[in-house]
Amino acid sequence: MQEVINELLETMMSNQVSVPVIQPVIDMAAQMPMVGLGISFILWTPIFALLICPGLSTLGIFLLFFPWIERKLCARIQWRVGPREIVPWLGGLIQLLADTLRFLFQEVIVHKDAHRPYFLQFAFLSFAAALLPLLFINAGDVIAIASPYGVQLLLALVCLFPLFILGLGWASNSRFAFIGSVREAFMYFAYEIPFIIAVLAMVILFGTSNPILIPDKWGIILNPIAAFTFFVGAAMATSRMPFEIPEADQEVAAGPHVEYSGIAFGLIYVMCYEKAYILSTLMVVLFLGGGSGPDIPGLTVHLGDLMGIVWFLLKVIIVMTTMFVLRTIYPRYRLDQGLTIGWGAMIAISLVALAWSIVFVFMQQGGVL
Amino acid sequence: MEKEEQDRNMHILRTGVLSPVKRWSAKWSLWPCHFVTSCCGVELAHAFASGFDGERLGTLNMGISRQANFIIVEGTITRKMARALRIVWEQMPDPKFVNVIGACGQRGGIFWNSYNITRPSDIVPVDFFIPGCPVTPESLLRGVRAVQDKIALGKDETTIKFKKVALPSEVGQGSTIPTSPKRFAPTPLVKVDIPREVDWDFGSTTVNNLKSQLEGLYKSITITDKNRIAIKTAPENLMEVARKLSDNMGIDHTKSVNVVDVPHEQKFILEYMASSYSNNDLMPVIITLFTDIERKAEPEFPSITPLWDSADYSEREMHDFFGIKYEGNAGMNAKFLLAPETQTPLRKDFKLDEENYVFDDSPLNPKIDLPSSLEMPAPTDLYDEAEANDEFIILVGPHHTGSGHLRWILRIKGDIIVDVTPDPGYVHRSMEKIAENRLYIQNVPLFERANISDPFNMNLGYVHAIEKALSIEVPERAKYIRTLLAELSRIGAFFYDSGIFSLFTGHSTGFMYVWAIREMILEATVRMTGSRCSPSFIIPGGVRRDISKDVLDMTGNFTSAVNKRLKKFEDILINNPVFIARTKGVGVVTKQEAIKYGLVGPFLRASGVDYDIRKVEPYEVYDQLNWEVTTGDAGDCLGRYMGRYEEIKQSLSILKQTVDALKRMPRGDVISEEVLGEYKEASEDIKGHLYHAYGNLVLPKGEWTSVIESARGTLLYSIISDGDSNVPYRVRIVTPCWMNLRGIVEASKGERVADFWTIYGSFGYFPPEADR
Repeated sequence: MQEVINELLETMMSNQVSVPVIQPVIDMAAQMPMVGLGISFILWTPIFALLICPGLSTLGIFLLFFPWIERKLCARIQWRVGPREIVPWLGGLIQLLADTLRFLFQEVIVHKDAHRPYFLQFAFLSFAAALLPLLFINAGDVIAIASPYGVQLLLALVCLFPLFILGLGWASNSRFAFIGSVREAFMYFAYEIPFIIAVLAMVILFGTSNPILIPDKWGIILNPIAAFTFFVGAAMATSRMPFEIPEADQEVAAGPHVEYSGIAFGLIYVMCYEKAYILSTLMVVLFLGGGSGPDIPGLTVHLGDLMGIVWFLLKVIIVMTTMFVLRTIYPRYRLDQGLTIGWGAMIAISLVALAWSIVFVFMQQGGVL
Repeated sequence: MEKEEQDRNMHILRTGVLSPVKRWSAKWSLWPCHFVTSCCGVELAHAFASGFDGERLGTLNMGISRQANFIIVEGTITRKMARALRIVWEQMPDPKFVNVIGACGQRGGIFWNSYNITRPSDIVPVDFFIPGCPVTPESLLRGVRAVQDKIALGKDETTIKFKKVALPSEVGQGSTIPTSPKRFAPTPLVKVDIPREVDWDFGSTTVNNLKSQLEGLYKSITITDKNRIAIKTAPENLMEVARKLSDNMGIDHTKSVNVVDVPHEQKFILEYMASSYSNNDLMPVIITLFTDIERKAEPEFPSITPLWDSADYSEREMHDFFGIKYEGNAGMNAKFLLAPETQTPLRKDFKLDEENYVFDDSPLNPKIDLPSSLEMPAPTDLYDEAEANDEFIILVGPHHTGSGHLRWILRIKGDIIVDVTPDPGYVHRSMEKIAENRLYIQNVPLFERANISDPFNMNLGYVHAIEKALSIEVPERAKYIRTLLAELSRIGAFFYDSGIFSLFTGHSTGFMYVWAIREMILEATVRMTGSRCSPSFIIPGGVRRDISKDVLDMTGNFTSAVNKRLKKFEDILINNPVFIARTKGVGVVTKQEAIKYGLVGPFLRASGVDYDIRKVEPYEVYDQLNWEVTTGDAGDCLGRYMGRYEEIKQSLSILKQTVDALKRMPRGDVISEEVLGEYKEASEDIKGHLYHAYGNLVLPKGEWTSVIESARGTLLYSIISDGDSNVPYRVRIVTPCWMNLRGIVEASKGERVADFWTIYGSFGYFPPEADR
């Protein structure tokens, strides 16, 4: 028994996230009996990745601030100001906090026709589905489960989202929810194949699908076609304009979301932001060099692992902002136009990206590159 | 009922340990339910667009009732809309709040004695009332602030507290507005074919031609005014006459269907006003085909739709109003515009509450019965039919981000629309009935509210009918001002429709950009007339007052400002590849279909018919200015939209020309002296003499019809006067959106579901204008 605990402690202490600048504080806290254990537990890399970054806390902070960024950015593009009056000197930064709290205290209506268990379960469990893919992606050197099949596992787990959306629409038992779910199902098949092929192209290029082992090269320069396909596929996956087809507000009255209120709606509303976050992290790892960045003298040494995390988050923010700015530029496509793009142009381009990667690898192995 | 419902919402927020958190979060996260109910909706859109930005207060306009906690009820709640409002309110989760904006929301406003309105406070518990007609966006946001204060601080006010201010007044002590008593002739002489001597040679030849063709089938053919011929027939001959007109003279559409109730002669006069798009000589002429039928409880008459399909919806309207069954028209089983409980309101024995004169103190407070049931079902045979054919029915609206203020019943098979059934009348404010009880001048603001995104054209049409009747010649300067205002209105309505179109395709930036441009137009309107979108500025004989030079300069600058921004607008919306992909080839209406279904305006021109009333029967100074009519031949959504866009460029050019002309002209009269009578000092500004000059206006007997080209097409006003009363006997208004409704229905059949909104947006349908 004692050996088991010792071995567990051994694994935990050997795999800590190292942040030199706060090391003195940790050493001081380590003196205290339970607090030291707790802090070591949180700094244990897998738990750190799950709870802090790129897991729960970072996801939570993104969900709290990213809609604000989106609303302000869109407002500025549209000659407006966006949310402001809640805290004028901060520019309305905590607007989402007010919205979330309001959802929390609002009544969750489950209408008579709904299938009550699924109606509530799909809504509340969707948050868990958001955390699972995050176990397999790395932010710099911090990763929860470093599996040789990490990228594929992440992609497979992201497939849970459309399932949840279908479940929401089905459980709502309402006409518009039905049409929205059918659209989501159609669109899912359209974007998933080119998306997977694009990721496959990058896996071939890098020679590994273990996110930790993916080199810090910028895939966007090595294979821009795959980057483009990935980006468009991600836009389709997260229902960004011009592909906001399942939840077209003016056509199907928010599709699967139509019957949800209160905190159930709050959780569903952020589902697309969660998906965007996950896909952005994958894009950063595959195409934008993961947690790598230029060496800032003085800062890199002190922050240690945290530096990789900072670069990683910066890049994620850039990717997500680009995805969200699309909504101010484009109207939305029709369902059959979206499907034509997915099954037609996108598959062709993704196959070209795949071919590019294969040629690239051959040339590398043949010593040309 | 409502007091405890209202208190319940506040009670939820005030109880419990977390009450401060609850109140803070509810205050800063009031999401209004996107539920447009009436004309104030235009100003609501302005309040949340880039000019005033309601989102600053944390209010995000969310289209779904389940996710909103706030309703802003705008304006007139009609009997049909009352059901929708109550259902939407009940769908919302607690705690929820209600703001009522507009004068109509409080006691009915200008439509206070309509048969079709209800009071919102009887239907939902209201937290705050905001007066105005329409409300300015600032006061709307002030109302949101007031609800926020109510939530956070517990202030218990339901409306703005007005302060009494002592203003120096020029009018003497004990002054009241001098209004003539309304005089209703006891036995009015109602004839729609009073002959008139006009200098119209083509008219005499046409009349002789008609007389020879319609040998034995007619009772009389009269020239009632320039370009107006009235043919009286016996009821059994009407169809034959119509057929002969259609075959021999190329009369291919009706502009209006009208019924006049003459109870003291025990008859109804049925009228069809028809004209031609194919015969160029007959294009400006309106031929009124009319007959008398016996006044019964349920008179029957064969429908004219087998010949002229454009009369379809208007016949259904007449069936609702008068109870006449048109045999052959498919819509005679159910009410079209009216709520099911309203029975034949336009008959003369259905009386509205009369205004007491201003000298009397009794309050204007008619009794309004609420609808007894909240049911708003679609016709059951529709469901059965759809079930049999494996089709799906979706009910779109009136509470739907993409429906406007009416309900559409879509029958879908897979992704293809099989049929669309419109259910209009949710904003039917019974203008025609109210107009029969008010002085002629009091109807100017009434008809303006049909479409406050295009107010000057609404004024202009009505005023033209009065001026035709009284043969008033408008001063030159007033004509230029009117043209300027009409074109400003046209541009404003175009940008309104562009914004709504962008919104329907999901492009919120397109919406914000054009709404910002529209703010400039409203600024120009405010400086000229004093009101953003309900100025009632055009009055019989001219305009209310002259426009000063600096405002003219501003308007001239405004045209160049808009021209500069049009390039950016093209990049944002028109050249957007997704927009073009959505609109090209979608919803094609061929030329024959356009004429058959009675399309009007730029939508008719986009299908290839070269018909613009400003060229066909020029009015004001359109024939003296340099501009072109734009036609197209694609007939699809992109064609309709681009046609209007080119038209707006022409309008901007007309605007510039009128501004330059007005600056060159010497200042002078803007109101005709014929109508002013002894108050000639008011010829440059009507202030202080409006009711003196117009209070006792009496039109000569007969029917006076005017057509003008408003922003969305042909606007027809037809006033029947009995020569004695100072209120009209019957006013018929046919708005372009009402005529275009059929076009949306027919263009959508066979298209995909998502195309329905593209087609809807491309037709620029504005329900308050269609429902009147």
